[in-house]
Amino acid sequence: MTATPLLEIDNVTKSFGGLNAIDGASLSMASGTLHAIIGPNGAGKTTLFNVISGTLIPTSGHIKFLGQDITNEPVHRISHLGMARTLQIKSVFPELTVYENLWIAAQSRDGVFKPFARAKEMRPANEKADALCEELGLTGLANHKAANLSYGDVALLEIGLALATDPKLLLLDEPVCGMGPAETEQTVAKIKKLAKHIDIIIIEHDMEVIFDIADDIIVMAQGRVLARGTSEEISNNADVRVAYLGDDHDD
Amino acid sequence: MSAASINRFGTGAFVLFTLTAPWLLPLFVDAFWVDIYSEILIWSLLAASVNLLYGYVGLLSFGQALYFGLGMYGVAVGVAKFGLGFWPAFGFGIFLATAMAVVTGALAVRLTWHYFAIITVVFSLIFYFMALSWKPVTGGDDGMPFTIPPVFSMGDFEVTFKDPTTQYFFIVITIGICYWLLNRILQSPLGRAFVTVRENDLRATLIGLNVYAIRLAAFVIAGFLAGVAGALFAFFGRYASSIYMFYHVSGEAVVWAIIGGIGTLFGPVIGTGLLIILREELSSVWQHYQILVGVIIILTVIFAPKGLGGLWARAVDYIASRSSNGGDAK
Repeated sequence: MTATPLLEIDNVTKSFGGLNAIDGASLSMASGTLHAIIGPNGAGKTTLFNVISGTLIPTSGHIKFLGQDITNEPVHRISHLGMARTLQIKSVFPELTVYENLWIAAQSRDGVFKPFARAKEMRPANEKADALCEELGLTGLANHKAANLSYGDVALLEIGLALATDPKLLLLDEPVCGMGPAETEQTVAKIKKLAKHIDIIIIEHDMEVIFDIADDIIVMAQGRVLARGTSEEISNNADVRVAYLGDDHDD
Repeated sequence: MSAASINRFGTGAFVLFTLTAPWLLPLFVDAFWVDIYSEILIWSLLAASVNLLYGYVGLLSFGQALYFGLGMYGVAVGVAKFGLGFWPAFGFGIFLATAMAVVTGALAVRLTWHYFAIITVVFSLIFYFMALSWKPVTGGDDGMPFTIPPVFSMGDFEVTFKDPTTQYFFIVITIGICYWLLNRILQSPLGRAFVTVRENDLRATLIGLNVYAIRLAAFVIAGFLAGVAGALFAFFGRYASSIYMFYHVSGEAVVWAIIGGIGTLFGPVIGTGLLIILREELSSVWQHYQILVGVIIILTVIFAPKGLGGLWARAVDYIASRSSNGGDAK
């Protein structure tokens, strides 16, 4: 294990007009642990993912990824440093086939500014796309347009797009949101398997899932880090009960 | 027959027709249709530049006439003012158009959708009015005629556009090369990246694609194609005029591309051909023939959003699936 933290978030604020979606959050996350971020709606979880992955530039503060300052880096360069992300609203390339989706994500590592090369002859990307189809169990759907896939398969494909870029860190934004019990189980198993060789930070509302897979739980509320700890510590934390689980003792 | 073999047959028939048109067309119609066919091919390249941007990268440009016009002026000014020969003038026209696409594109592709459409119109109007008023250099809307230099000369031997067959085949070969290049690029990793950006630009950046650079590359290639079309049109008409930089010309190219079928390689040729034939046949007998063009656009957008090229693809798939079913011994 290296001493360099996976991700360092140093006093980050993101404001929209007068509203601080993130309000001076500081976090340091180590490699080798599955981190989860939870919190009520509007706590700033997705905004935090946006500033980490570069789709938003923080108003103030700094973010370091594997020791490198990425605060003002563009999204595509952060991707090349080894960060991948799925979105809360599943996001793939609808008019491309499953294979083409995975292919372009894989080819992004080798560069696309090759106007006179033939896409069909790009061996590494072809092989990786084939391998990912296999790994995700999408081989039978390889030539189907992503637009025609079921919700669960789109979610799977989106994770595949992230994996095709060989990430060191994977940010998952509500991966099981909108899934039925069977799909949820399948996805959770997938995430557990991935966590063995990729660092993962997950945002999720499903507490059962979180308590099942996360080693380190970060609770956000109103743009700040409210609490942090293991599932046991979090479920016994009084502040969290009030802010997140509500003042309800029914369960 | 498989879909691929039908398409190969269609392409073969199109190439054969194009190569024999100077002799074939006069058998059936007036000989000036050979010139109209050259014109269709040239304009189709302008439509192809719209198609590359809109159909493949998802950027609707209403300003492609700017690059067409610069290709024209590069040739006309090069020959008439600088005394350039055929090839240097040709190169100068294409260079001007491409360079302008680099400069304007660097600003324009920061925007998308209607903002992008508006900025492309604005750029083309700025330079249209400059060309219109800078009469000593451009001839304004009177145009700037020039005497066409030979393509190649050695002693008494000359290859020139004065020979209609030479002119025709020069145009055909140049445009053939452009479509070959375009096809090659669309089959490359860069071509796949174009479609990726069109489909979902946020996801494209998240997988590590530099969306800005990809859009700019497409914009510059589109400017190059429009520039080649403009330079050829200058040689073809032996003059340049600011009217070809007006946004009306850009708009026509968009219409040709949409009716022909955006996102298909040969769609723009079909759309351009159909509408230019319509114009040639109808504009002299019916002043308001553009009403019909309007109706065709509306029908296309509603019933065939992928244009005639898309209808062709669907028809081919239908025939292919029927013939493969018929072939099965069931």
